[in-house]
Amino acid sequence: MRISLAAVALAFAFSIAPAKAQTINVATAGDQNMVDYVRDYLGPLFEKKHPGVKVVAVGTGPGDAGSQKIYEKLAAQKAAGVGAWDFDVIVVHQKMAGQMVDEQLLAKYRDKIDTGKLVTRETAANALGADVSGYVMPMFHSQTALAYNPDLVKDVPGSYGALIDWVKKNPKKFGYNGIKGGMSGVAFVAGWVYAFGGGADKMMKGPYDVATKAAWDKLLADLKDFNKSVVITPGNAGTLDMLNRGEISIGPVWVDMFYTWMAEGKLPPNMKLKLIAPGMPGQPMYYATPVKAANARLAEEFIAMATSPEVQAEGIVKRFNWYPGIDAKHLEGKLDQAAWKKLFADISPDELSAKGQPFPIAPYFNDILESYEKKVAN
Amino acid sequence: MSSQRLFGLLLVTPALALVTALFLVPLGYSVLSAFTHADGSIGLANFAKAFELYSGDIAYTIFIVVTSTALTGLVAIAIAGYLTMGETSWLVTGLAWLYRWPLFIPFIVAAQCMRTFLAKNGLANNTLVASGLIDAADTVSLLDWRGVIITFVWKQAPFVALLLAGAMASIDRATIEAARNLGARRLRCLIEIVLPQVAPTLMVALILSFVTTLSVLSVPLMVAGSQPTMLTVDMAFRINAYGDYPVANALGVVSYLMTAVVAWFYLRTALRERET
Repeated sequence: MRISLAAVALAFAFSIAPAKAQTINVATAGDQNMVDYVRDYLGPLFEKKHPGVKVVAVGTGPGDAGSQKIYEKLAAQKAAGVGAWDFDVIVVHQKMAGQMVDEQLLAKYRDKIDTGKLVTRETAANALGADVSGYVMPMFHSQTALAYNPDLVKDVPGSYGALIDWVKKNPKKFGYNGIKGGMSGVAFVAGWVYAFGGGADKMMKGPYDVATKAAWDKLLADLKDFNKSVVITPGNAGTLDMLNRGEISIGPVWVDMFYTWMAEGKLPPNMKLKLIAPGMPGQPMYYATPVKAANARLAEEFIAMATSPEVQAEGIVKRFNWYPGIDAKHLEGKLDQAAWKKLFADISPDELSAKGQPFPIAPYFNDILESYEKKVAN
Repeated sequence: MSSQRLFGLLLVTPALALVTALFLVPLGYSVLSAFTHADGSIGLANFAKAFELYSGDIAYTIFIVVTSTALTGLVAIAIAGYLTMGETSWLVTGLAWLYRWPLFIPFIVAAQCMRTFLAKNGLANNTLVASGLIDAADTVSLLDWRGVIITFVWKQAPFVALLLAGAMASIDRATIEAARNLGARRLRCLIEIVLPQVAPTLMVALILSFVTTLSVLSVPLMVAGSQPTMLTVDMAFRINAYGDYPVANALGVVSYLMTAVVAWFYLRTALRERET
């Protein structure tokens, strides 16, 4: 009994100790580069501006899985009636942001911070069909595209249709990670449905019609057939690994991961990107703060700093190769031309706005995944 | 109730409470959830969906786990057999020192190593090409079901061999020497004299290995692509992509049934041992 009392006391001491030392907890979903960004760049920067404050970065894992874990923690704390929730700042994917707003887990903070008006892009208000206006700030935008090795691919396919022909002529030279190994594969499949399903616009904006998926049988059968001549890679990093080792010549990747890997010498420097027609999806990650964050004011200041033009230019674009979260025009003058050009070397801003698409709204998104599981994977 | 019995019960209580709270309650909850529909009614809809989407993966999982367990058994018998009957002392010492290493390496680390080791242009193939054993054009990637099985066998064989070597060391060596004196070769001696005496241990070790491989998430996730994949990956995906616990739990129940089959063998062996 005495031991358990001591344990409770100890746990209690641990739980209040960080509050005294002014610790803000930043939970981030996504690949390791997201955690690195907060831990190695944003955290130290914020600590320098706010002496006595410590930033703790927590990674919850790649893909929607990471956002799901953040959601479950917040939902559990809400259900338990906890007064001050553990996470101060969260970084989540679009799909979960909508649900969190719906369930009143997030604070409406955007209008309270100066940088709130620096973003006008659609994604700041609309997350896969859910109205998230005021609750989120885009941290960055990312985009999927096909990476290829120009030494091995002379006739680069420019569209999904051309890719099918290319794969027929070059079996097992295209690779993607299916839908269970990360979002680059999911993006490729969503792009496939946009390309051959018709009504892509409705899938991105709604309204949802449960009958739409019935019309996908042919395109899914084609995809199953297509899969016979491709390599299914183990994960986002798996595709990049296989491109690097020359085992595949083309594969869908995240643009930021592509440039980061190349900068680290993990991809041949001559590799290129191609955003194929009619388009492939990309997505922002969002900064948000829980409605009962223990350090709400610090959380707002943290997000304001993270979305300031200086940090967006230096951290998001230059160091981590993402497209900025706030409108690009605010970065003018903050960034040297070389860094700007590098980001748009293979995919021009015009191409990006024409062929960079959002993911489908949540119910269509789930329909695509489940139809794929039913008719392509099984 | 005598005070001694009461004391015995008291001693057991903490362990029992722990098992109940941390195992039986979650188990019961997950089984219940697997049979509960979204509207709260009871039925088999979650299982229907699980089979509709993952029947291929269920068969694949059984194939991977059964094959891995069988190969693990063969490798472990070879290792333990040589440790028991090997006649070159430095080889026996070397093997005894080496074979346990994978035991100390977590699955996820093993999977990460295999990713670069087994790839088409990975370490294994490059070594074979450089030593002139195969041509660079003939290399194949083993990062599919074969890679998963190789990783499982590599990781589990030492565990089974450890138990098996212990059992073999404790059998009466006179039986081996008698057979050898009468002219039996070592292999025949292993199969006909040693193995029957350690069969219960081998069985228990393989059952534990079977259950372990069935529950590993990192290896199928990291070593092979996701089509087809093992049930652990599907369960994780069900939760992470859709927040769908009921179907994930239905898949969990399917896994319990697989382990239940081997658990039945385990219990039967354990009971028989107690009787003799």
